Amino acid sequence: MEEIFGHPAVQGGVAPFVVGLIVVLLLQSLRLGGLAVVAAFATAVYFVAGFTFTPLTATRKIILLGLFSPVIGILADFAFKPTRIGAAVFALAGAAAALWVFWPVVSQKDAAEAWLLGGTAAVTVAFMVGFGQMFLAEHAVRAGSAGLGVGLGVGIASILSATATYGLYGIAVCAGAGGFLLVQMIRGKTIAAGATFTLPAMLIAGLVGAGAMVLAKLPWYALLVIALVPVGARLPVPEKAPLWLQAVLLSLYSLSIAAVACALAWPT
Amino acid sequence: MTRLTTGLIAIMLPLAAAAQVESYAIDPHHTVPYWETNYLNFATMRGRFDSATGMFTLDRAARTGTLEITIQTANLSTGAGRTLKRTRDEHLRTPDFFNVVEFPTMTYSAKSVKFKGDDPEVIEGSLTLLGVTNPVALKVERWRCGPDPRTAGKIYMCGGNATGSFKRSDFGMKFGLPTAIGDEVSLWISFFGFRQ
Repeated sequence: MEEIFGHPAVQGGVAPFVVGLIVVLLLQSLRLGGLAVVAAFATAVYFVAGFTFTPLTATRKIILLGLFSPVIGILADFAFKPTRIGAAVFALAGAAAALWVFWPVVSQKDAAEAWLLGGTAAVTVAFMVGFGQMFLAEHAVRAGSAGLGVGLGVGIASILSATATYGLYGIAVCAGAGGFLLVQMIRGKTIAAGATFTLPAMLIAGLVGAGAMVLAKLPWYALLVIALVPVGARLPVPEKAPLWLQAVLLSLYSLSIAAVACALAWPT
Repeated sequence: MTRLTTGLIAIMLPLAAAAQVESYAIDPHHTVPYWETNYLNFATMRGRFDSATGMFTLDRAARTGTLEITIQTANLSTGAGRTLKRTRDEHLRTPDFFNVVEFPTMTYSAKSVKFKGDDPEVIEGSLTLLGVTNPVALKVERWRCGPDPRTAGKIYMCGGNATGSFKRSDFGMKFGLPTAIGDEVSLWISFFGFRQ
């Protein structure tokens, strides 16, 4: 059993997918199926590093923010109507989160590199979180496809950048989003995504990607391409097409952009 | 007169004691920490940090001493070369293992050294790695002091090897546990220092 749960494919893929799927099935009726992403992420954290938070490293800050983000997401979904201002606030909060995580590290580098890395991290996370809230939160299939794309993109790009831990965290986001999407595809009905889904998915994926840039070898321009992955999930699909087909097409769009990011992360 | 003598003795005693404490600056070119751990239960993976800096002191009369070593974690090498697109050393520098961007150094600090006869035998110190400090004892082997033959005896030096082990999980380094990469890490440090 120890060998099974010690395998990276189980830690980052299979176990998070199963947990995410269970969460969707159990909580979709409460409009909380979007918790699949954070459940999948927490599962990977449990197996890979555990829930230790001292000293508070950048990675542990990412985990803390990831675990806390659904609280904000649920509040936003149940207490507020989605607005442009709300999305802008989310984006600013995302940028602030990125700076909280990475500025203590990048500020030790020379000024030009610090601004490049810190700025790229802040812009990426802000864009992903803001875009997710603005354009994806109300569209569960698009949100699921975007989560699938950013998770897999960040995961593979992180592994190519020499950090398997971040790779597994990214793939866990993909697994959670996959479970969320799969239930919709099988049932042919959408389930509520909202900020409960998009905030953790975009925040975790953005921060993990930024971590792979700051702490490992991911090129900054590859991270900017990862930021564009959710845009793929906004591309048009035949509205009358079956839901599973829409999900497949939107996932392909997202994954195509993610593939470009991975190609840019390819070590030379 | 008696008071004056007593006063002088009181002043001189600590100075005399201080004079017995010898300080040595560690030679970064010849002080190399090596480590090894189990890999996939098939092989033993070895690596080294290319240099270390620090000081140690010896109080031969009191049979004790101190040690401070700072290791630049980015200077690690496992001989992986560029046979892979991403080398093992690059992986070891990421947050999966040594997280060198956030923790560019690891330190070993000891305030107590146990002697056996005239030679140090066990260094009782603590290792700070990834921001976590835990006690790690090092056993001293092949200890020797004497004039540096390269300087016709102008410089006096002491050196030896120190070995020990720790569990990396105690420092929060958990990637690859429990099956892929061993938890137990053995240390083997060759070192010497020049008397100041």
